[in-house]
Amino acid sequence: MSKIEATELGGRRTTGKGDRHITSLATELLRIAGLAGLFAIALVVLRDDPFLLNILAYTCLFGGLATSWNIIGGFGGQFSLGHGVFFAAGAYTTANLYFHFGISPWLTLIPAVVVASAVALAVSWPTFRLKGPFFAIATLALNEVAFVLANYFDGLTGGPRGMMLPFRAGFENMVFTSKLPYAIIMIGFLLVTLVTAAIVLRSRLGYYLQAVRLDEDAARSVGIGVLRVKLMGMAVSAGLTGVGGSLFAMYIRYVDPPTLLSIQDVGVRFLLISLIGGVGTLYGPLAGALLIVPLEFQLRATLGSALPGGNLMVLGALLVIFALFMRKGLVGTVSDIWDRYGRRRDE
Amino acid sequence: MAAFLNIVTVGLLLGGIYGLVSMGLNVIFGVIRIVNFAQGELVMLGMYGAYMSWALLGMDPYLSVLIVVPGLFVLGMILQRFVLQPLQNEPFMQIFATFGLLMFFQNLVLGITGGTGYSVRSDIASEVIRIGPVNLTLSRLIVLATVIVVALGMNWFVKYTMPGKAVRAVTQDRRAARLMGINVEWVFMLTFGAGAALAGMAGVLLSPIYTLSPQIGSNFILAAFAVVVLGGLGSVWGAFIGGFVIGLVEAFSGYYFDPALKHAIWFLIFIAVLLVRPGGLFGIAGAEEMGLREQD
Repeated sequence: MSKIEATELGGRRTTGKGDRHITSLATELLRIAGLAGLFAIALVVLRDDPFLLNILAYTCLFGGLATSWNIIGGFGGQFSLGHGVFFAAGAYTTANLYFHFGISPWLTLIPAVVVASAVALAVSWPTFRLKGPFFAIATLALNEVAFVLANYFDGLTGGPRGMMLPFRAGFENMVFTSKLPYAIIMIGFLLVTLVTAAIVLRSRLGYYLQAVRLDEDAARSVGIGVLRVKLMGMAVSAGLTGVGGSLFAMYIRYVDPPTLLSIQDVGVRFLLISLIGGVGTLYGPLAGALLIVPLEFQLRATLGSALPGGNLMVLGALLVIFALFMRKGLVGTVSDIWDRYGRRRDE
Repeated sequence: MAAFLNIVTVGLLLGGIYGLVSMGLNVIFGVIRIVNFAQGELVMLGMYGAYMSWALLGMDPYLSVLIVVPGLFVLGMILQRFVLQPLQNEPFMQIFATFGLLMFFQNLVLGITGGTGYSVRSDIASEVIRIGPVNLTLSRLIVLATVIVVALGMNWFVKYTMPGKAVRAVTQDRRAARLMGINVEWVFMLTFGAGAALAGMAGVLLSPIYTLSPQIGSNFILAAFAVVVLGGLGSVWGAFIGGFVIGLVEAFSGYYFDPALKHAIWFLIFIAVLLVRPGGLFGIAGAEEMGLREQD
């Protein structure tokens, strides 16, 4: 990849007039608070419509998951196809603790983070030796292995039959009769991932990750511990993904290997949403989720029976089209237009 | 002893299959430095091509090579020209694009067939040859013979023909090759076409062995990645030998452990090789980073 293209990926590119203004963390937190307000309004408007609340919940869940992926995938440039493994690790941790020990799912979020991050560190330590496409291959293989193991060790996972989580309505069990509380939980998850991503982006770790993405050798030569930085970024990213998995498990109250570890439905989804929104930008993954998740519901409703797999076919085509013509995604394209407009105003 | 011989035979025959499937992937990687995630889908398209020739035209699956291989060659050229060439120096976008192609082809076939599994029958394929305690299925033997012929043929092609020399020149140094008057983009199109054609041939030869399903490509692509990483990225002989190693490992682990765990065992080998020799057993050291280097 040429250096100029690489810098453009992040959205902060050097123009002839010097660096684009980098916003402070406080500004970003304010923006996220504004987003929270918008979601609150959406909740009030949609409160009596379970169908749309369901779409809202999924949008926020996948927006949050893509934001988590983006921390290592976008900021750090490590295109993991294996985040489904961390998603499943979180989901299975919560499912087991709730099902076998009756522990409140809220409390299981902590072990879910620990397990997902630990799995991520264990598998990333060897695979981070690889770069670019080869890292992607290794993580793809990892996802397939996790699928096989999840089917094989049925004591932990319920095997191919899966685990049905009992319906015991109540706040402490994170089981509700209405969709509204779930939508609130998913919005909360999205906001947590956005805040975490903003903090990471404006911290030493974030700058190190971006340095690693732009030029690993240069980053190493200025004294950045490349492997350590990648592992830290991966741990944060995987921990959040694990939480997403836990919430997902409690939302659908059913876990089985195809739901959690399907590469096309889960593992690639995070990356696809990020690409379409804008890889490496803070709000890109959310923008991508706002477009893709409702679109997919629509596609499934219209194509579902007539053309099985039609939704995935469209997503595949979108991936190719965005890779070819809109590499910076929705957010990158919009900010480019903004830049051009702004520059004209300067003159 | 008989069991052991049988396992070795099964492993070698399986290795032929994996080697054949990996060869196209490795040709594309070796020359264009693109990791084609959609390679398994090209094999799948080859299998369905054989099915269609058999079901619609009544051709023997093996004869459909005459239709499927040129068809996939053209498809490969089109993909290289319109999808991958614009992304030449964008390794990350190549991942997205080839993965998008994977999802597109897989679900296109799923949509058309409605997910029904098909199988192809060939009179030749079901023959069984007995040598002592060992049973050999002719269909698998054909695959094994083909992979040997293809490996030798490719070796001859790149060493002794002018287009082959051009391919090697482009592999070594794109800029210098361009200065010598080689049309690099044309070489890439021919190479991707050849890689796709190899996938198509693999698909045709495997169609009498497997039940056809739209998802079957995913099985092959993982095996192919394991083979390619093991044998060496971009090394044709690496793919050839890597195929046999993976095949033998699968046969032995299937017999002594559990066939369900074969993916896990591949992955362990995969990780072990990555740790010890990231470039693969027969690859050039550092080949795993080559795709990221700037070349034009």
